[in-house]
Amino acid sequence: MSSCDPIIEVKNLYVNFYTYAGVVKAIDGVSFRICRGETYCLVGETGCGKSVTAKSLTRLIRSPGRIEKGSVIYYRDGKPVDLLKLGEEELRGIRGAEISYIFQDPSSSLDPLYTIGYQVAETMKEHGRVASIKEGIRRAVDILRTVLMPDPETRVKNYPHELSGGMKQRGVIGISLSNKPRLVIADEPTTALDATVQDQIMDLLKKLKAEEDLTVLLITHNMGLVADMCDRVAVMYAGRIVEEADVFELFANPKHPYTQALLRAVPNPMKRMDKLESIPGTVPNLIFPPSGCRFHPRCPFAMDICSRERPPDLEVAPGHRVACWLYTEHGGR
Amino acid sequence: MAELKRFLIRRLITFIPTLIGVTFIVFVIAAVIPANPAKMWAGGEKARPEVVERIKKEYHLEDDILTQYYFVMTKLLKNEMVSPVTQHYIWDDLKMYFPVTFQLTIIAFFFIIAIGIPLGIVAALYRDSVVDTAIRILALTGVSTPIFWLAYLMIFLFFTRLHWITLAGTPTPPYSITGIPLIDAILKGDLDMLSQILARFGLPGFILGFAGIGVTARIVRNSFLDSMSADFTEYAMARGLTKMRIYMHVLKNAMVPIVTVLGLMFGGLLGGAPITETVFGIPGLGRYMLQAIRNFDYLALVGSVFFVALIYLIANLIVDILYAFIDPRVRY
Repeated sequence: MSSCDPIIEVKNLYVNFYTYAGVVKAIDGVSFRICRGETYCLVGETGCGKSVTAKSLTRLIRSPGRIEKGSVIYYRDGKPVDLLKLGEEELRGIRGAEISYIFQDPSSSLDPLYTIGYQVAETMKEHGRVASIKEGIRRAVDILRTVLMPDPETRVKNYPHELSGGMKQRGVIGISLSNKPRLVIADEPTTALDATVQDQIMDLLKKLKAEEDLTVLLITHNMGLVADMCDRVAVMYAGRIVEEADVFELFANPKHPYTQALLRAVPNPMKRMDKLESIPGTVPNLIFPPSGCRFHPRCPFAMDICSRERPPDLEVAPGHRVACWLYTEHGGR
Repeated sequence: MAELKRFLIRRLITFIPTLIGVTFIVFVIAAVIPANPAKMWAGGEKARPEVVERIKKEYHLEDDILTQYYFVMTKLLKNEMVSPVTQHYIWDDLKMYFPVTFQLTIIAFFFIIAIGIPLGIVAALYRDSVVDTAIRILALTGVSTPIFWLAYLMIFLFFTRLHWITLAGTPTPPYSITGIPLIDAILKGDLDMLSQILARFGLPGFILGFAGIGVTARIVRNSFLDSMSADFTEYAMARGLTKMRIYMHVLKNAMVPIVTVLGLMFGGLLGGAPITETVFGIPGLGRYMLQAIRNFDYLALVGSVFFVALIYLIANLIVDILYAFIDPRVRY
């Protein structure tokens, strides 16, 4: 890893959900940082805490969820601010203007009762980028054109139900980019779309990233997308980051047993594979998470210490960190 | 707008079979009851046989049921049907009693909206708190309180003890613009008349709306919560919209089920409030219907049912039209 000009830095984040069944320890000490201009990926199974992490960055966690501790340092024009301590109104000024989101399902992200143009316009107006909704709607036509919405002059007046899934997601991307944000958090942006549209949307994101000088945090469970889009990858398991590396390094040289299993479970573009494997066991219940390393009940290399103590973050190569006892004196690798 | 016109015409045409169906069912039920209406109308046990015979002829009571029904309906609609009990033209009676009920309904509806909606919103905003629980208990109480019992309690308090309200007469202004005293008084700015009307109709309106307040508070609470937990609300937060604007989105999305319930409730209230009107001695449609039943005046009853069904259909139609203004997904 060469020099990194960080845009956002998450330190020791803990998020709990207070449900009737008990306290779900959804995020358990997550730390990472994203460098300006890169595409950073969070990968992991459903329920591992990717989305919660992404939403925590701007405190979008709603009841019964609560951010317990940690900090999210956002480098705003070089000056660090802790988003978790920022006042509500100041944070609102950052959301949607400097840090914006693209959510998974465009059909439910958009308010069904307002036109797409109106929703673009109000996002700009609320951040003082346009004086009136009317002006915003005029500007929305250009924005929709940049996200390659076909026939933007007509589409701007359409309601969400009058658009296809792909067009809706283009609309959402348009809304998210309308205020020229620095960081875009794309939370599984193509999961709800069919495969051909997925490709178009990812191509669009790549193109916009280059044009608008964006930093992207991409959340996905699709290893193909990771290989296609990302510069650096963090693998999450049960609310923790187990491994983080450069994308080439991760696919070529996965260290954590979970990452290795994950890569054997999906077609790896870097290697020839004869058969895909599944990971034995099930995702742990995070109300009563496994002690020590949360992966140890499913890990083929589990040792005594794994169930007793949380593994430390180890830097096994420059920019490649892994949380696993195997790479300490206990594992002897 | 051409679409709206076609929709209206289509819906108005469907009114016809509905109205025929409703009145026919009521008519058949009344007509097949083994009673001797002619004798009752003629004066009961002491009735002279020739009068009974004349009434039988006049009202086609010996004919088959379809002929009878046809006779009753055509006469009613032409306002040629005279009630054998009251000797009034039935349609004229309905036109006289309806504004009274309409006025009562407006007041009841005002209470439902002014109390039910804010309660629901507050309950949703403070979900699962003490306030929310209190409002939910209140709503449940509202739905399950017997209306006559509450009415007598309130009369005891406001009439017997406090002397705030009146219980007799119907204040009628000397002028008439819409034919409904409450609206006329408001239009004229006649505060004296208005306070008289409210002294007479305020409490019955509240009693009539009481159950509706609970129902409305619950519906508003639930649809508000649904709308607040929706993905688009989360996305609105992620877009950095202000609280006011987020609530605008939430409120508008919550409106659809609320409008449905309120619209149908308005229709239901208008359809006469027999218990409230009887307890408070208000000469409205509900009491008229009860009297008609008591006197076995099923001609007046069929007329009232026709009227009530028509009002209900119109309320329904208005709800459907309102939908399209709120929700662009609704097409005619």
